Amino acid sequence: MEFELSEEQKDIQKAAEEFARGEFDPDLALELDQRGIFPETIWKKATRLGFIGIHYPEEVGGQGLSLLESILVMEAFCRRDSGIGSALSLVDLGSDLILKFGSRDQKEKFLPPIIQGEKQMTVAFGESEDEQDLSVLSTQAEKREEGYLVKGVKKYVLNLSRADMFVILCRESGEQWLPLIVEKDQDRMEIYPIEKMGLKMISSGDLHLQSVGVPYENRLGERGQEMDLFQYYHRVKSLRFLAQALGLMEGAFERALRYSTQREQFGRRLSQFQVIKHKLAEMQVGIEISRSLIYKAALEVERGELYPKALFISKIEVGRRMTGIVDEALQIFGGYGYMAEEEIERFYRDAWTIRTQLGTEEEMRDLLSERIVGKKNEP
Amino acid sequence: MFYEFDERQRAFREKVRQTYEKEVRPIVEEYEKKESFPVFLFRRLGEEHLLCLRCPKKYGGPGMDKISECISMEELNRICAGIGAGVMVHGGLGTDPILRFGSEGLKQTYLPPAVRGEKIGAFALTEPNAGSDASSLRTLAIKVEGRYRLNGSKTFITNGTICDFVTVAAYTHPEKRGTGINLFVVNREDQGFSVIKKLRKLGNHTADTAELAFDDCFVPKERMIGEQECGGLEQLEETLKSGRITYGARSTGVAQAAFETTLSYVREAKRRGNLLQKSQAIRFILAEMAMFIEVMRYTTYRGAWLFDQGMASMKDASIVKLFCTETLQKIVMKAIEIQKEAGLRTDNPIQRYFRDARLFKIPEGTSEIQHLVIARELGI
Repeated sequence: MEFELSEEQKDIQKAAEEFARGEFDPDLALELDQRGIFPETIWKKATRLGFIGIHYPEEVGGQGLSLLESILVMEAFCRRDSGIGSALSLVDLGSDLILKFGSRDQKEKFLPPIIQGEKQMTVAFGESEDEQDLSVLSTQAEKREEGYLVKGVKKYVLNLSRADMFVILCRESGEQWLPLIVEKDQDRMEIYPIEKMGLKMISSGDLHLQSVGVPYENRLGERGQEMDLFQYYHRVKSLRFLAQALGLMEGAFERALRYSTQREQFGRRLSQFQVIKHKLAEMQVGIEISRSLIYKAALEVERGELYPKALFISKIEVGRRMTGIVDEALQIFGGYGYMAEEEIERFYRDAWTIRTQLGTEEEMRDLLSERIVGKKNEP
Repeated sequence: MFYEFDERQRAFREKVRQTYEKEVRPIVEEYEKKESFPVFLFRRLGEEHLLCLRCPKKYGGPGMDKISECISMEELNRICAGIGAGVMVHGGLGTDPILRFGSEGLKQTYLPPAVRGEKIGAFALTEPNAGSDASSLRTLAIKVEGRYRLNGSKTFITNGTICDFVTVAAYTHPEKRGTGINLFVVNREDQGFSVIKKLRKLGNHTADTAELAFDDCFVPKERMIGEQECGGLEQLEETLKSGRITYGARSTGVAQAAFETTLSYVREAKRRGNLLQKSQAIRFILAEMAMFIEVMRYTTYRGAWLFDQGMASMKDASIVKLFCTETLQKIVMKAIEIQKEAGLRTDNPIQRYFRDARLFKIPEGTSEIQHLVIARELGI
């Protein structure tokens, strides 16, 4: 069993780290966060260097690598800055669905503009604050001669304001699920961004579709694949957020470590106090556990495992570890950690926003326990 | 033994709750957004006799006890922690040293206008390089011809930009590390005193937090609190003892607010078509929150009662602060987690309670300092 990144993977990691170090400026990040602005220039540069869509096949302009490599990039970005890193990690949400379920034509049409930094894509499935709850799916796709007419309201859509393309789940003639690739239609779509506590550079909000016309060829996947597609989306989306979580906790740890070796109280550096040293040690524990789990989860998802156990487990454990680490990091900074000028303040808000995207611990335990004792184990 | 609030205390809680609901609730969102303190509120609360609660009637105060102060703080923080911070510092750290250790002249000068909310008080101990380690203060107050000359800078000062006077800790005898400290009252208009900048924070947005500077700021010797040079340390300890108990009340108030919001969310929300409140895991979470809040409240009011009896040790006060502020974190974290994306919306108050609560583990002694204090008082 090999438990090491390959040389090529390490090179990718290093390149992403260097890019982030060179481009992600803390003052700029503070400003973008406070004003809720997407890091446009950095995104363009990142696409030029091939960081976006690194796992797309070479035919569409990608590098033909796997999900794990794309995760290494997101991790490196978020390590440097949780806000900019997250924003860049979410510019092509939904492309994974085209990669796996799309036709050749769809891949050739929709993926190159993402790689080239011309367009962004997102997913609009959920209709309540629980994106996975489709008991309320009521967006309708009406069949017309020239294509579908889509009507409905999607909630908490990520990257709402910036996305040019959406993968939307609707109901066809009342019942059957229908995933569609929908291009932005200014006249028939209205967006209502909501202000949120963290990840402010990436917008989120409600999408109103008022009879948006969608050609038949934009139907994504074969009939009968809808559930697989739905599940795959949530897995890949979780992986993306887990990668962000990992980078964020590493970044919080590094900042706390640096500060603790500089700040003196009671005539000693903070890093010389046992309690502080133990906090740093516990952060290391969290990071190592999380990294192992997340890389394993990436392999599971890549392989298309029916039951990606490491993924489910990491959604509980990584979420908890990340918020624990960023909390201790803020505490080490003391009063300064609570101030907006200090990066850790943003990391703190972003960490909880990322954790929310991973779902609640209770939901994950529901899923895990179904696997252990079965769904219907009542007598 | 103290078990239950008496009739007078229950009536007082009812009164303050109504007042804060009426006077404070409607303006919270506006001022949180502006990140500024609604200064007019001081006079308004002064009219309601809700400032400086422990100030005796002799100086125009309501002459109430620590328990009543905690009741008021719990109810105010239930509505807004940032506003709670300003009112707490004004009636606590800012005026407490004057009230308890000041000369009759200082009391006559500063307390009546503070009680009426005409003059706003602040308290300045923390410095850029002196946080947990207060003995490493660098601000000096050197005696020069019957006056003291103050030089130094202070940070994270609540009410910093809006205060009319500030109680400042400085070394009169820097060679006596830790003990050569005194407290001084500095007026806003004193030459050499300036507000450097207002600070932006994760939470407590309505609280006014600033950096202050003293640059050859001369203060008459009558504005030193207490008679003796080097008497400030004990005054600080006593002031912080009271303040730490207040943090129990603040924490209980924010926890109560977070709990109420979460409970009403859980009543309405559905997951996969099922009512969230039917989930056993969620019911356990809510049950635990309710339990935590009960224990926080008991701990706080026991601390306040001990304080009123003159029996509270620093260990008692530290236990109140440590337990309540840490337990509060558990409550707000679970509360925001189970509300998922709805919990992160800035129009949902839960994210405000969550951001505000995070502060409480830091001021007036971080959780780590509370541990140190408790361990020290255990005699180990």
